[in-house]
Amino acid sequence: MAVGIPTPVAVPRLGLRAVRLSEVSFAWLLVAPAILAIVVVVAVPLAYSLWLSFTDVNLLRTSGAALELFGIRLPLYRWVGPKNYLQVFSDPLYWDSLWRTLYFVGAFVIEATLVGIGVALVLNERFPGRPLMRSLLLVPWSLSRIVVGLLWIGILDFEFGAFNGYAQRLGLLTGSIAFFKDGFSALNVLVSVYMWNQAPFATLLFLAGMQSISEDLYAAAEVDGAGYWQRFRYVTLPALRPILFLVLVLCTVNGFLMLDLIYILTMGGPANETTTISWLGFQTSFAFFKFGPGTAILYTLTGLCLLLTFIYHRLILARFEPEG
Amino acid sequence: MSTISRRRFLANAGLLGAGAVLAEGALRRACADKPLNFSGWVFKPDTVKDYVEFYNKKYGGQVKYEAIPWTAYHPTMETRAFAGEIVDVMYCNHNNRERWYENGLIRPIDDLPGTDELKKKMTPANLDSLKSKDGSKLLGLPYFTSLFVLIYNEPMLSQAGIKAPAKSWDELVEHCTKLKKDKVSDTPFLPNWNNSPSGTMPQFMTDCFSEGANVFDAKNRVIVDQEPGAARAMERWHKVYKAELVNPEVLTKTSSTDTHRIFWTGRYAYHTNHSYYLKTIAGEPENSKLAPKKAKMAMYPGTGQTYMWTDSYVVNAKTKVLDDAWKLTKFLGGNLNGDWYVQRQWCLISGLDNPYPEMYDHPEIIQSYDRWIDLKMLREQYKKGRVIAAYKEPWYGEYDTKAVATVHNIIRGTTTVPKGLKDLVALQKSLA
Repeated sequence: MAVGIPTPVAVPRLGLRAVRLSEVSFAWLLVAPAILAIVVVVAVPLAYSLWLSFTDVNLLRTSGAALELFGIRLPLYRWVGPKNYLQVFSDPLYWDSLWRTLYFVGAFVIEATLVGIGVALVLNERFPGRPLMRSLLLVPWSLSRIVVGLLWIGILDFEFGAFNGYAQRLGLLTGSIAFFKDGFSALNVLVSVYMWNQAPFATLLFLAGMQSISEDLYAAAEVDGAGYWQRFRYVTLPALRPILFLVLVLCTVNGFLMLDLIYILTMGGPANETTTISWLGFQTSFAFFKFGPGTAILYTLTGLCLLLTFIYHRLILARFEPEG
Repeated sequence: MSTISRRRFLANAGLLGAGAVLAEGALRRACADKPLNFSGWVFKPDTVKDYVEFYNKKYGGQVKYEAIPWTAYHPTMETRAFAGEIVDVMYCNHNNRERWYENGLIRPIDDLPGTDELKKKMTPANLDSLKSKDGSKLLGLPYFTSLFVLIYNEPMLSQAGIKAPAKSWDELVEHCTKLKKDKVSDTPFLPNWNNSPSGTMPQFMTDCFSEGANVFDAKNRVIVDQEPGAARAMERWHKVYKAELVNPEVLTKTSSTDTHRIFWTGRYAYHTNHSYYLKTIAGEPENSKLAPKKAKMAMYPGTGQTYMWTDSYVVNAKTKVLDDAWKLTKFLGGNLNGDWYVQRQWCLISGLDNPYPEMYDHPEIIQSYDRWIDLKMLREQYKKGRVIAAYKEPWYGEYDTKAVATVHNIIRGTTTVPKGLKDLVALQKSLA
């Protein structure tokens, strides 16, 4: 039997006209659900919280004008213009908290980056037990920060802390060290504990970056007579610039937003000496129920994060982006 | 062989069916028609679950209980109200009660059956605490009441040859100085200067009262800069801090619970904190080195007056099950059907006091308290408990939190006492 051309099958008309979409329209159609989801879960809450920062919010007084979205009623409250921002900027506590936040973020970013690179360099070498070490590395990062806070109280507490207990038993200390006795000491404890929690993630990123560097580059550098530090300086570091940018941005944003360790370890004290902007915003919103000024405080934090990201981008990444 | 007629069969079957239906109805407990939501902050949630279960069984309730962490509790309840959720019965601390009432979240309970009898049973100071700012409405029933007490470590004082606990502040400082000098204790004094709302500021008010000072005037304005007693209290705080008689880490403790646990170690001579903490200190040998009864209560020095407060159970203004909500509230904060079950349980389990004096005549309570405290002395101390009305002001919560920093600065000497007290007055004025 000869194989012939298949006979066209009569397709019943469904009454739908074939729609011809341009490539661009088709692309928009495909990404539309994702964009819609982002608008609903990111853009709307952001816009609403920005609006709140210009209003006089009382959660228990929700009558009045409101926005109805997907069956959810969003009260608009009374517009007060820039009053909340002016109030925040005229508060000396805000400025004290801002300088303290900058110190905290600066110290944390430096510590986390240096420790991250250092540990990544170690874990990039071949040695027995390396896979186990790489797995254990992630433990601090995978712990909830509430647990991290409680864990470090258990280590550093003046009365019950393991550090003081063991140091006394070993005869290294006669009394106990009070790590939280003053604000500066307590703030540095917060920096170190947060670094302990976050540095593993930086390590992971740096390690991934190091493993993508071609061995040929190191071989060529060795042929040229480069030692270990020269190879690090002229091969590893330049190749890690995109990762460094990522780590700096993530650490900076995380540092600005850190709240839970303060909640567990110091509650902003003694006095206000461990109060950062995020803690101040949290307290203003949720302890004093002043959601207008609270969101205004937190929006200044958002502005700072964006500014620093821009600066990092200009300093580290922009000059190294491929042309064309 | 006997036969059965169709008619008889149907009659018997009908009887059997009716019997089954009636029997089931009789056996089944009378249940509330609708479930009732009840929320509180986390404090012994298993105990609360137990008595909610008891209530559901005994009174046929359908109560759903949920515990929320203490610090997030009041904001959480407000955001839930914002989202339209109705929690029928709630815990509410004294600082938030007026705010919730003024904003329509909770309803007064004066019109509900049995309230007048409960009012008569309450001590007048606690009753005032539970009323609205204008004194016209009762906003809740008591969850518990407490005040600050002085606790001392008897074995440590004996070891140092001190025969009786301090009766005055000068004597207390003298004892602590001697204990440090003799190397009996590095930091003999443990005041509740923690950074939470239950720490530094209530302790500040307590010590001002004990020095005969007022903190607020009749219009609830802060007046500590005009009160010599307040200055004396602050001079003393700075003095004991500077002399290193106090563990400086107490300033960064995040709760009164954490603070009282330090006293468990037995390395401190004197401690000031909420009365119920003595139960774990002197009554729990598995936790505390000062149990059983090695730590004791002494009358507060000076005038003996200390800060007292009353936290409460409140009823949601929008509840759709008012009768059931009120029944549960009476079970929790009163004596439903004449039984003080929950109030008694808190006394027995946690040493949480309540404002119903008749409770303390109950043999079970007397026997239980005898294991950890001198009940007669505690009742005497309660007679000197002093309530304030300032927490009913809208600015109070913010003042109470922000004032901690100023008081910590006074303690550490980073500001002078007169300036610090003036700063407190200025802070209140700026918020009012």
